Amino acid sequence: MVRTTVVGNYPRVGDTHEEQRLRRAIARHDLGEVTSEELHNAERDVVRDILREQASAGIDLVTDGQVTWTDSQSHLARGLGGIEIDGLVRYFDTNTYYRQPVVVGPVSWRSPILVEEWRAAQSASKRPVKGVLTGPVTLAELALDKHYGGVRPLAFDLAKALAQEVAALQAAGARHIQIDEPILSRRPEQIDLVRETLGPLAASKGPAELSLFIAFGDVAKIYRRLQELPVDVLGLDLVQGAKTWAQIKRRGSSKPLVLGLVDARNTKAEDPAALAARVGELRGRVDLDAAYLSPSNGLEFLPRAKAREKLSVLAKAATLAEAGP
Amino acid sequence: MTALPTTSVGSLPKPDDLVKARSKAAKGGLAPAELRTLEEKATREWIGFQEQIGIDVLVDGEQYRGDMATYFAENLEGMAVSGLVRSYGNRYYKKPIVVGEIRRKAPISVDWFRFAQGLTEKPVKGMITGPYTMMDWSFDEHYGSREETAMAFARILHEEARDLEAAGATIVQVDEPALSARADELPLVVRAVGAVTKGLKAKTILHTCYGNYDEIFSYLNRLPVDQLDLEMSNSGLDLLERFAQEPLRKEIAFGVVDVHSHVVEPKEVVVERIERALQVFGPQKLTIDPDCGLKTRTVDEAKGKLRVLVDATRAVKAAHGIR
Repeated sequence: MVRTTVVGNYPRVGDTHEEQRLRRAIARHDLGEVTSEELHNAERDVVRDILREQASAGIDLVTDGQVTWTDSQSHLARGLGGIEIDGLVRYFDTNTYYRQPVVVGPVSWRSPILVEEWRAAQSASKRPVKGVLTGPVTLAELALDKHYGGVRPLAFDLAKALAQEVAALQAAGARHIQIDEPILSRRPEQIDLVRETLGPLAASKGPAELSLFIAFGDVAKIYRRLQELPVDVLGLDLVQGAKTWAQIKRRGSSKPLVLGLVDARNTKAEDPAALAARVGELRGRVDLDAAYLSPSNGLEFLPRAKAREKLSVLAKAATLAEAGP
Repeated sequence: MTALPTTSVGSLPKPDDLVKARSKAAKGGLAPAELRTLEEKATREWIGFQEQIGIDVLVDGEQYRGDMATYFAENLEGMAVSGLVRSYGNRYYKKPIVVGEIRRKAPISVDWFRFAQGLTEKPVKGMITGPYTMMDWSFDEHYGSREETAMAFARILHEEARDLEAAGATIVQVDEPALSARADELPLVVRAVGAVTKGLKAKTILHTCYGNYDEIFSYLNRLPVDQLDLEMSNSGLDLLERFAQEPLRKEIAFGVVDVHSHVVEPKEVVVERIERALQVFGPQKLTIDPDCGLKTRTVDEAKGKLRVLVDATRAVKAAHGIR
């Protein structure tokens, strides 16, 4: 049977008045009209809603939707020593932005960044909640480095710092931890650096299952090298990265795969039967019992109602794949 | 046309009463005709301001547009508008969706062009959101291919450009902020923009901003327009050195004020930027403008930035004896 998971972020705001309470809370907090604690409660409420939406759709391995993250780069970077946060930069080929981390000194881990958020989410969910971290190479490549004089030494120090975060997450009880390295879809030549920097993270994972997810493009040219990485599970964007599909079909996979077949960047809903048939094409090449079906990246690029629809498509496709030949 | 002319990129901030009226109208609390009256008033004021400070090529200020892609989407058949999507932080927007064959029911921006041009003797630019940006910033539930979608937008935007020209526009600007989204699609940008500008007698401009210019540089001379309008100040004028090595075979509109900063640049700073631009481009090929649309600034900040741009250009022209 094929299980289902999501990649990370999820729309925090929807189109109804009720679904916009976090938007209002943030605006009022900015004006000093609500306390940080009230804002925090509003965030936790939305996390509970998002966990409920994933559970009722039938998603097996869920996330907290990264509701408290301002963006994929600055949320983690803000918690680390040696980094300041600067102006807005476009995030890959999306029409969204991140605040750019500026590295001004040696990077250090000070205290857990994600653990409280993970714990709160897990306590509100019967299903396992996956901890998600942006990987050291993507963080390093998208930052402005004023200290190290190169991506490589910066990525190594980020890996050391994030390894402590991984250790803290698994000590808190997280049994699924995902590292995002979308940069590999743009700079496949960084595969060696990704392999080396995953080392410290893998060494800190304890009993947790460590996965790597690569969004925003294909990894066809480095597909074989991905199999050598020190992770338990490989997650692939197979929509924007459709070219990777032929590699999977030809070479199979020694690692369990997260198959990002549901388009997380378009509102058009896929036909679950067609998706199930595609999953079926991998039978015999990939261990489907260990595989997950997922969106191609975080669902936050979609309106909330469309994100819900995609969750339901995912779950239906997985059920059909299970029943299939 | 005078040498070293001044212009602005397109959008200008909306006055507070118009912002409030738009939000009221969106909730059905204000009749379209009443909103239109306020939009016309704001347009009249911006045309008056541009004339008063002595800008050479005017814009209507887009007082009647919300998001630049959604505005065109709302006026096309085959398009819908999605629920809220986050752009950054606590900011959200409604993204266009292509749900069927894209068709133009009627000219979209021509009426506003006529209104604005009727207020001034100086040229007003016709403003179109480009086909590649319309595609990249919309969900596609119909065509199933980025290329087909972009070319479908190009066909109807070509009709819009022809209608603007027929209404008297001597300059048509195509805005392509998404130009550098995917380097491997630059040939598509060239083709789609070409399909919009093909056969136009009007002078054509392509505006883009905040991209990775390294990747797009080799395409700049291939873009089928007469003038490129580029953000230069926000990126520290790095591009100038490259142009000194590999000349641009087109006119350039050169951004000399940063639209993302609240601070109005001192005149000396703007003068220095213009002087640096003049070292690479002749005054006949060089237009002076802000980096990008000014709509995210306050009315006062935008006015301050336009004023300093005009003052600095005058000072440079006087110093060089340029008329």
